Amino acid sequence: MSILENSAQWKEDFTQGWLAHFQRTGKESWDIYNRPRNQNPVSGSGRDLKTSRLIFISSAGGYLPASQQPFDAGNPLGDYSIRSFPATTPFDQLAYSHEHYDHTAIDADPQVLLPLEHLRRMVSEGDIGELTNVVSFMGFQPDVSRLIEETIPEILNITRDEGAQAALLVPS
Amino acid sequence: MGLIGRALELNGIATTLTSWSAGITRRLLPPRATFTRLGRGATLGLPQDTAQQLRVLKATLGLLAQDAPLEPVMLDESIK
Repeated sequence: MSILENSAQWKEDFTQGWLAHFQRTGKESWDIYNRPRNQNPVSGSGRDLKTSRLIFISSAGGYLPASQQPFDAGNPLGDYSIRSFPATTPFDQLAYSHEHYDHTAIDADPQVLLPLEHLRRMVSEGDIGELTNVVSFMGFQPDVSRLIEETIPEILNITRDEGAQAALLVPS
Repeated sequence: MGLIGRALELNGIATTLTSWSAGITRRLLPPRATFTRLGRGATLGLPQDTAQQLRVLKATLGLLAQDAPLEPVMLDESIK
């Protein structure tokens, strides 16, 4: 099993197609973007959430402006870096650098994308064992090979360091 | 997110996700997933609609109890 089947072929298609077009014209052409696809599912054991350490992973571009650099939200080739912050972070200490979704909803109520207060309440009520630090990235990442080679290894390292046993992923 | 879910699952971490874009996410075969008809920028529900956010959140987290792969679960949640 693999993260992305035929990833070498995907990378060649992307390099020769979407990326070459962008480098030639300066324009993003989604008509020729080869969306990744898998044919085989991966297997894994279920977990009792009540006794698990849960890591929350968000692609909303959240970061701590007082101590962290924003994501390169305007980069047409994407940003493959990550940020991490405590799950206890108050919403007024977070900002969001991501230009590929309308911020109206998250500005009105951050829990539409980052359910930190809901998750903390579920911990206090015994429905979740513990929360680890949050993993955050900016979800505009057209080069899937860079996601696999750069972003995912970093997420795996944090997940191991945090001792997470389960993960909740919320795209933006 | 589907690929990140697969990577984590392959490394022994049980994963679950929710997506408003079933068409794109389904192709990646994430281990566990719920799909909604919510929208970009409001994946868990409408602003201030705590009940909707919790329905999506708890349905998605609830999948963790089951072994993967699971057939994605369609939730009757939308922006209307």
